[in-house]
Amino acid sequence: MNSRNTSYSLRLFEEFKASFLKDLRSYFRYPAWIIGEFVSTPLWFFFFALGVTLFAPVASTSNAPGFGSGMASFFFGFVFIILFSTSVWGVGQSVRNEQTSGTLEQFFLAPANRATLILGRWARIFLTDSIIIGYTTLLLYLFGGTAVTVLNPPLFLVSLALYEISLIGFGLFMAGLTMRIKAFNSMGNVIFFGYMILTGALFPITVLPTPVRYFSMVIPFTYLNDAMRHAALGTPTILPLILEYAAAVVSSLFMMVFGFVSFNRIEQDARVKGSIASS
Amino acid sequence: MGNAVGGANAASYFATRTGTTNIVIYEILGSAVWMTSWVVIEDVGAGIRDEQIKGTLEQNFLAPVNRFTLLVGLSLTDIVITSALFLVVVGISVAIVIPSSFLTIVPAFLTLLLGLIPLFGIGFLFAGFVVRFKEPYIFIQIVNLLFATLTGTYYPVTFLPYWVQFLSGVLPQTYVIDDMRRIVIANQTLVNLYGSIFILLTLALAYPLIGYAVFRKIEKRAAVTGEFSKY
Repeated sequence: MNSRNTSYSLRLFEEFKASFLKDLRSYFRYPAWIIGEFVSTPLWFFFFALGVTLFAPVASTSNAPGFGSGMASFFFGFVFIILFSTSVWGVGQSVRNEQTSGTLEQFFLAPANRATLILGRWARIFLTDSIIIGYTTLLLYLFGGTAVTVLNPPLFLVSLALYEISLIGFGLFMAGLTMRIKAFNSMGNVIFFGYMILTGALFPITVLPTPVRYFSMVIPFTYLNDAMRHAALGTPTILPLILEYAAAVVSSLFMMVFGFVSFNRIEQDARVKGSIASS
Repeated sequence: MGNAVGGANAASYFATRTGTTNIVIYEILGSAVWMTSWVVIEDVGAGIRDEQIKGTLEQNFLAPVNRFTLLVGLSLTDIVITSALFLVVVGISVAIVIPSSFLTIVPAFLTLLLGLIPLFGIGFLFAGFVVRFKEPYIFIQIVNLLFATLTGTYYPVTFLPYWVQFLSGVLPQTYVIDDMRRIVIANQTLVNLYGSIFILLTLALAYPLIGYAVFRKIEKRAAVTGEFSKY
């Protein structure tokens, strides 16, 4: 029994590795896009960060661009957004990309677990995202003169792991949706902007009008963003600390299970209807 | 966002740095110039790419038409529509927020039109780039983002380090955005702004000449190497 479990785990790992390497190879095939991603992502950050700095307290910035606590919070918001877009446009769109390039059937016919195939793509994007975030942090230090520090690294890593688990779940859900809804970009944009405004990614939800805040409170990502920001900057949490982390754990487990179940159900449904390959 | 960073005094911090409490108009003018310049650069540059993909670039280049008018013509419809949109959006915003300054839209729009001329020159450079390297969109995105960062779209360029401000000084949008803010928000006239208008006129002469010369050089080389038909 044990050896069967081990060989199953090994097979899953091999599938994951193969999918990761496949995605990495495809990624390196388009150097112009790599340059674009690596140049434009930090540019977007600096562009908006400088705009936001106009509203920062004058004393803390000497009437010049500065990156005080408000900016550190904004920087983490930028990190959350990059990671979230991984889930929406990376994992979610992977199915759509295979669909439009006509390779989705081959992909699904391979004797491999669907989820590990999609996880391989997530891993590649997480790797490149981490590199981009890392060197943006370095640029921030070089140009803004501020070192971004994390107040409680172990707690931050736990929060990040919970956030990533929910992102994988959400990504799987989005990947499933692309088999049903073809206008993926419009849907992705709505979800992305909803995330930015409602979940406290860029600013605390306390600045939202009260009725809108109720919406925020039922979105799992609100607690995950809040938990990460608390671990990094020591900001007050929405709920009492223990309750907040309990909410974050429950949210991420829920998202993961929800993602797997919905992806499998939509795929089964698409197989019956023959809509997997229709683009 | 401003409230999250600056709290209840966010607007006064903004005023200290920009000299105005009119956040909406300040940001709308910057955004509108940025979006208009994005359209000009993308359309002139990528117009050739569209012809290339459709397989009609050679026919266009074989027609007895001046390349200059062809490049401008390829993008003119979009630019006229975007400029009209600019006029409507900025006009309505100013009419609502500072109705007393509504008429300043006219000189502000004239400044924008003057600023579009050097942008055509940058578009010509991109057109040459497309003939040579084919894939323009990602580079157009990077350049437009750079322009947004360097030209003071959402903040005064004095916020940038000195060496970056030098780069801002050679970009036409820097002057257009600053002049428009001075005209609409601070009620200055084109005559008051003669210094930057003179710089814009100089750029309006220099950029198209340089851009067109570079484009012609790349085009001549492409005619020898057969680059036109490749995409």
